[in-house]
Amino acid sequence: MTEVTQNLPPIRRRLARNRARNQTGSFQIPVWSDASWIVRIALLVGLLLVLMALAAPWIAPFDPNAQSLISRLRPPVGFERYKDGFFFGTDELGRDIFSRCIYGLRLTFALALAGSVIGLLIGGTLGLTAGIIGGVFEEGIMGAVDAQIAIPFTLIALLILAVMGSSLNVMILVLGVYGWEQYARIVRAEVKKLLQMPFVEAARAAGAGPMRIALRHILPNVVSPIVVQFTLNFSNIVILESTLSFLGLGVQPPTATLGSMVGTGRDYLPTAPWIVLVPAAVILLLTFAVQILGDWLRDKADVRLRSR
Amino acid sequence: MLTYVLRTLLRMAITLFVIVTLVFFATRLSGNPVDFVLGDGITQEDRQLLIAYYGLDSSIGTQYWRYLVSVFSGEFGLSFLERRPVADIVMERAWPSLKLLLSAVSFTLLVSVPLGILAAIYRTSVIGSVVMVIAFLGYAVPAFIIGILLVLIFAYTLNWLPVVGDGSALHFIMPTLAISGTLVAAITRFTRNAMLDVLSQDYMRTARAKGLPEWLVILKHGLRNASITLLSVIGLQIAGLAAAGSVVVESIFAWPGIGDLLVRSAILRDYPVLQFGVLSVAVAVIVINAVIDISYAYADPRIRLAKG
Amino acid sequence: MTKLLATTALASLLATSAFAAEITVGAANVSSYLDPGRDHSNVGSQFYYNAFDTLIDKNHDTTDTEWKPGLATEWKLIDPATMELKLRQGVKFHNGEDMTADDVVFSLNRMYQADFPPYQIRARDRLENFEKAEKVDDYTVRIYAKRPEPLWETLLNLQQVMIIPEDYTKSLAGDPDKLEHDDYEAFSLKPVGTGPYKVAEFVPGEKVVWERFDDFWGEKAPLDKVTVKHMPETASRITALKTGEADIVTNIAPDQLDLIEKDPDMKAEGSATALFHVMIMNVNHPKLKDARIRQALSLAIDRDTLNEALWGGKAVVPSTHTLKEFGELYQPELTTFEYNPEKAKQLLKEAGYDGFEITYDTAPSYYTNGVLAAQAIMEMWAQVGIKGKVNVQDKWSGNSPEMMTRNWSNPMYFADPFGCFGVMWAPNGPSESEGRFNTDEDYAKSWETFRYSGDVEVRRAAYAELMERIKQDPPVLPLYRPYESWAMKTSVNWAPKPGHIPYVLDFRAGSISFN
Repeated sequence: MTEVTQNLPPIRRRLARNRARNQTGSFQIPVWSDASWIVRIALLVGLLLVLMALAAPWIAPFDPNAQSLISRLRPPVGFERYKDGFFFGTDELGRDIFSRCIYGLRLTFALALAGSVIGLLIGGTLGLTAGIIGGVFEEGIMGAVDAQIAIPFTLIALLILAVMGSSLNVMILVLGVYGWEQYARIVRAEVKKLLQMPFVEAARAAGAGPMRIALRHILPNVVSPIVVQFTLNFSNIVILESTLSFLGLGVQPPTATLGSMVGTGRDYLPTAPWIVLVPAAVILLLTFAVQILGDWLRDKADVRLRSR
Repeated sequence: MLTYVLRTLLRMAITLFVIVTLVFFATRLSGNPVDFVLGDGITQEDRQLLIAYYGLDSSIGTQYWRYLVSVFSGEFGLSFLERRPVADIVMERAWPSLKLLLSAVSFTLLVSVPLGILAAIYRTSVIGSVVMVIAFLGYAVPAFIIGILLVLIFAYTLNWLPVVGDGSALHFIMPTLAISGTLVAAITRFTRNAMLDVLSQDYMRTARAKGLPEWLVILKHGLRNASITLLSVIGLQIAGLAAAGSVVVESIFAWPGIGDLLVRSAILRDYPVLQFGVLSVAVAVIVINAVIDISYAYADPRIRLAKG
Repeated sequence: MTKLLATTALASLLATSAFAAEITVGAANVSSYLDPGRDHSNVGSQFYYNAFDTLIDKNHDTTDTEWKPGLATEWKLIDPATMELKLRQGVKFHNGEDMTADDVVFSLNRMYQADFPPYQIRARDRLENFEKAEKVDDYTVRIYAKRPEPLWETLLNLQQVMIIPEDYTKSLAGDPDKLEHDDYEAFSLKPVGTGPYKVAEFVPGEKVVWERFDDFWGEKAPLDKVTVKHMPETASRITALKTGEADIVTNIAPDQLDLIEKDPDMKAEGSATALFHVMIMNVNHPKLKDARIRQALSLAIDRDTLNEALWGGKAVVPSTHTLKEFGELYQPELTTFEYNPEKAKQLLKEAGYDGFEITYDTAPSYYTNGVLAAQAIMEMWAQVGIKGKVNVQDKWSGNSPEMMTRNWSNPMYFADPFGCFGVMWAPNGPSESEGRFNTDEDYAKSWETFRYSGDVEVRRAAYAELMERIKQDPPVLPLYRPYESWAMKTSVNWAPKPGHIPYVLDFRAGSISFN
């Protein structure tokens, strides 16, 4: 093989190598040895964040809401005026930023996960059924998708939060509604494309019912775009939550989420940047890890890439 | 094809009607402008006086009917706050938003399509990883963090760029970058994934077998086919942006845009502005989507056949 | 020496007109309409003094009350309920019309005999006692009050009775000779007054542009042009000063002052604003009916610590609802509230407080440090065993029976306790009407005496009675007088003047200069 590839132009050589590599890995469950360095880092970071979120009550050095008005806006360790024990400094009410970050991470994680899963379930189901059943049903769903796409989601969130008041449950509802139309649209588009594919037609000719076609032939093939969309959606939700906080509509204070810490701390960026930079860095790590992992999973799940 | 266009148009009309109705009732449910802007520190009698003055005292059904009648005669009402026609207000804001949107989309396409192709071709090498890391980073940072950091670096510290409004070409640089972060990340990544899908397709092999140069194969066959998926994604992203995606950036840069207007009117319950603003955005988004749908059908022969 | 001063003054005048006669102001908020009559918001009060005049003017360089001729050159009482004013001749409106008694009568009666709802509301809480204005001749008017009025000058110096042109206003909408509500609506988009600056451009919520009005009757404006632009983000506002996009910016939070003072290109000016941030408590909420609980809510708040921590010690913590600006009615000796956590605990115990949750509403960003103070207060409540919860929302909750406590600001609409406490806490006034405050005959009697007595000592005594009532059964208690700051380039000499109502951007002659 080596001799062959050397005669190919560089791009093709690389592609050939890709194929070769994928071939060897194709019979294994995607594991450590198979992952690139960046994926390994993402895995580690992701794992670390999950652990931190789960163990928040045990590892947070302070009560995240305990104030100390006399030691407001203290900088992180290593700077002048650092307050002992408060590694990442204190915020505008003298609360420990590290502890708030850990609890904020916990809540942000829970919110984003709940939101993404709800959105996926609603949108995926609707898109899949619309694509397969077609007809008036499809028209109806796609009409709803169009309506949803055409109204700014921030506005919808704003209205929901205004009508129902902002509480955790409402927040989950809002974040859950977010993105359903993208799942629906993408899944339906894929389904439409797949239904034209020879192997589906073959299955149909062989007498497979719509349910069987959906589950056996279509679903495995739409996993790839769904996984990609899920990861986009997950980090979008983290960002949406911080945007709502930025607009003053997030979870009620003093409860911390990563987004609300960034949102309320932004006025202090020139004077006490750590208030924003620390939770922003955590948001970044979280979304970054999720996306790298999602991308990696996507490669693993891709039927065509794997089988060649 | 004609029936397809007609059907699209009909669906647009229904979508708009649904949106108008939903927004009307949602805003009415969410409270009364008198409670948000005009009404602190006035007696209940005076409160009723204002409610009557703004025509909010009749039943919601009557108000809805009155609104529909005036909409069909082309009257969208006066802002509660500014007491001038909402069409004037929204038009004043639409152009700055559109300019920013165009600027962001052009920038994104210029940057992310080449990056995406690079990342697909050099998938396993350092180049691919670096491109993807940059793209993921763009995704992981909320737009307002990018915005505020840009302001701090290029305006506050270096004094290179102006920070307020849309007065000159220089004013566009920071808002464009801030908005494009997410967009560049999304498009880069979709370009890459679409290219990956395409690169492993049979027709690519055929094209190569015909002895075409590699770059031509990629551009002509690869990009053309990848553009199908790309189109729908770009459509979705632009739609999201044209909507309220840029609210936060508009606020940071005091950009006199429509996102800022919509959020303000939602928070203050300025119904007429909100209704007309949402309607305008919805029309814009629906038109963009219809154009993309049609070009989608044009780009993918399978769908074109199916629809025709 | 005098000559030297004169030369320097002349030189600086020349320098001013040559270099810096145009400035840009970055404002956190810009009004969505400009009509001095219907407006009494903190946002609006920034914009009227430059373009409009009142009949009676005031020396704004001092907190003492010194009346000056404005559009009226002299005024005298015919009897305690009637005043006659001689109008200044040769005054022109920005549109070129001459100001006559007709315009004055029109401007006053649009408030005194209001039938336009936004005017009715403003007139009701402060101009209730005025019956009408009448023209005597082209430059003389008489104003009739319903009963003897102790605050004549004060109530003719109000923003709400600034003078606007009659013919111009009538011509704006519909029939040009008739007065319609739409005329007033149109006026608030194209305001015209007699002040040293005319409003050259107004984009609601976004931009106000003033240009010097060359036919101004008094000392001409020092600036050719002032552009006020909406810059909502704190970080962007400060940055705009650095990039030269703004010369002055408003609403700088105390936490930012350090940064500005350390920067050689910028400086900050500020003052303890003539308003109180207050905590209001719903006396009719089933769980707060017992006055002892409400007293405890206030006793638990350590206002001095709030001041030190959040305002850098620059706010003013009083002991009662009084401001230095009240002049002879300033009564700092009264003690209406204090910090005493032990007493708070004791009162809670006596009242049988069982740990139920008490909500504290606040708007997300309207009040400087509002949400921060709210959270700090929750912590202080927790110290005495009160379970508090902050509820951040844009909606005004003061008329909801479910509202328990919330923050609010009680501005000084004019320099008298009637213009601060009085407007909001009158019998049958807004607070009682909204159902969170009750008055009885005794309260009403004290209030009447306080409002209408011509004898300062009697008014003081009556106000002290009212404060005692508030202390015993509190519906409202001040937190502090906030400290508001403006930041500007070092080359700009501007500061808020002590004699104004809060937030006025005063760029008249003598108010701004440049190095």
